[in-house]
Amino acid sequence: MGFSLRPRVENFRIGSDSSLEFQNYGHLSPARSDSGGAGAKAAPYLGGEAKKMAAIAVHQFAQSITCHAWSPDRSMIAICPNNNEVHIYRLSQEKWEKVHVLQKHDQIISGIDWSVKSNKIVTASHDRNSYVWNHEGSEWLPTLVILRLNRAALCVQWSPKENKFAVGSGAKTVCICYYEQDNNWWVSKLIRKRHESSVTSVAWHPNNIFVATTSTDGKCRVFSTFIKGVDTKYGRSSSSSDSKFGEQIVQLDLSISWAFGVKWSPSGKTLAYVGHNSMIYFVDDVGPAPLAQNVALRDLPLRDVLFISEKMVIGVGFDCNPMVFAPDDRGMWTFIRFLDEKKPTLASPKYGSQFSEALGKFYAQSKYGASNNDGNSPSKSRGGAHENCITCIMPLAGKSRITRFSTSGLDGRVVVWDLEKQEDLLHTL
Amino acid sequence: AHFSTDPNLRPSGRLELRTQKSAISQFRGLKFLGARFDEGDSIIFLRKEIFCGFLSAGKASVMASSLRLYLTCIRNTLEAAMCLQNFPCQEVERHNKPEVELKTSSELLLNPVLICRNEAERCLIETSINSLRLSLKVKQADELENILTKKFLRFLSIRAEAFQVLRRKPIQGYDISFLVTNYNCEEMQKQKLIDFIVQFMEDIDKEISDLKMSVNTRGRLVATEFLKQFL
Repeated sequence: MGFSLRPRVENFRIGSDSSLEFQNYGHLSPARSDSGGAGAKAAPYLGGEAKKMAAIAVHQFAQSITCHAWSPDRSMIAICPNNNEVHIYRLSQEKWEKVHVLQKHDQIISGIDWSVKSNKIVTASHDRNSYVWNHEGSEWLPTLVILRLNRAALCVQWSPKENKFAVGSGAKTVCICYYEQDNNWWVSKLIRKRHESSVTSVAWHPNNIFVATTSTDGKCRVFSTFIKGVDTKYGRSSSSSDSKFGEQIVQLDLSISWAFGVKWSPSGKTLAYVGHNSMIYFVDDVGPAPLAQNVALRDLPLRDVLFISEKMVIGVGFDCNPMVFAPDDRGMWTFIRFLDEKKPTLASPKYGSQFSEALGKFYAQSKYGASNNDGNSPSKSRGGAHENCITCIMPLAGKSRITRFSTSGLDGRVVVWDLEKQEDLLHTL
Repeated sequence: AHFSTDPNLRPSGRLELRTQKSAISQFRGLKFLGARFDEGDSIIFLRKEIFCGFLSAGKASVMASSLRLYLTCIRNTLEAAMCLQNFPCQEVERHNKPEVELKTSSELLLNPVLICRNEAERCLIETSINSLRLSLKVKQADELENILTKKFLRFLSIRAEAFQVLRRKPIQGYDISFLVTNYNCEEMQKQKLIDFIVQFMEDIDKEISDLKMSVNTRGRLVATEFLKQFL
């Protein structure tokens, strides 16, 4: 078993007794996606003394990953390596092999979602299109979804019953798409009103009707997406006054900056979303009189959140470290701790090689040895599992209480985290 | 009420603030960058006389410690501001433009921050959702430094391709500008980018004074040689 990872920090410790093989990925070299199949190796390490380590596996797939999604049996992962393709990797005998490449989009793919029950992949891209991919035999066949958007699609998610999916777009609209059996076609309905800026994230309520959206105008809105042919079948009583398509249930104006990463709790009682002003917002009793709580973060803003259970939320973002939030006995949400142990070391005083070469031409003397001097404190390196911003967090295992989840980031890594060994956190679950 | 009072986050020394939001002392997090001020830019002004109390040596130490403070301030602001992400253009379909240059959607821009070391040296940091623009005004004491700075920085700006984060033309009123986009952050590490910019600012001053000294030396030598024939 080999572990391939190029360490950018000298003290990056992975495990006490795992044998480490370092492969130089050449961080600044382009187009690593072809070698991704051969180079990306599964690296599960469970060192004996690493009892407290939450990150149990780090996989390097590409130079940068936009988003990822797991197959229903968690043996395959679909990632977008920051271009217009989706790469599907399968884990076989401790190695990842690239089994499929889905190439239909023209521009970068902003969202991937893999439905659990029906095994369909939906992708949305900046080229205003969305495709639903069906697995037939050994191939994935795309079906174009006419979204009727005139700007990029930014996020996509299957509804809990997987008969609909929602797409948020830069056209300040949300598309709800459903399958029309007669025409064998995915049809979209637009929620046109209300958004003043791009819709960055969408999340479905467990009742399959409500969808929450966040936008770069800082507001989080909840809409009803009741569609007559699709939702009446499931015995939903139409006595509710909110069952009109596109009706806005509530608008939350808590953040003064852009809002991202909205998620519902498993029961649908609580809503959590993140603001770019380093705040995370928790809203209970979403309805005419919601109860909102703000939690301010000390560090950089978050990008996405995940509900582990009713009482625990993991947030990921620009800090490259997942943060754990939980409510205390009185129900006030607070920040508990970071999930990853950081070993702060003094980074080597060199900058990226291109810069030093270019600078070297203009500055005759070499000052790189002396740059580690007093005031110009060199940046503290992370020393954690992720080295660049974490953009996406997906659940992996667990039903009512998620025990494992995975994060992917701009450093091209997918890290699998396990909460079983974190005793202090298990108490609050 | 929701600002941390961790002393490690506050730069040492006091800063005089010209705005009401006294959280300038906390540079982490975009609380102040995200806030919609009504009074315009926020100005952070470093007062030189404050440092006289801290030091034992002469003017050199004053300059050194205020330079350190200035650079730490810029570094902390950049760490908070350089949280960029890929964002397709809202105005034109299928395009991806740095929003800080475009400036058409005001909700995608954050408040610019102006950090002044003294009247002559300034640094303007403008951020948006996918790009960041940093403009520097370098200290130019006399006419000769003025010419040297202009020529030197023009030389660098023309070769902006090699630097990747340099802008070809400085912003009006400044000497040199950097444009960092989300693509730069994806390819390179954020900390290294910030290190580069701060190191650049340090070296600019030294380089200009070296150039000035060499010009003066050469002038003196040439004049001496020339006037020797009249002896």
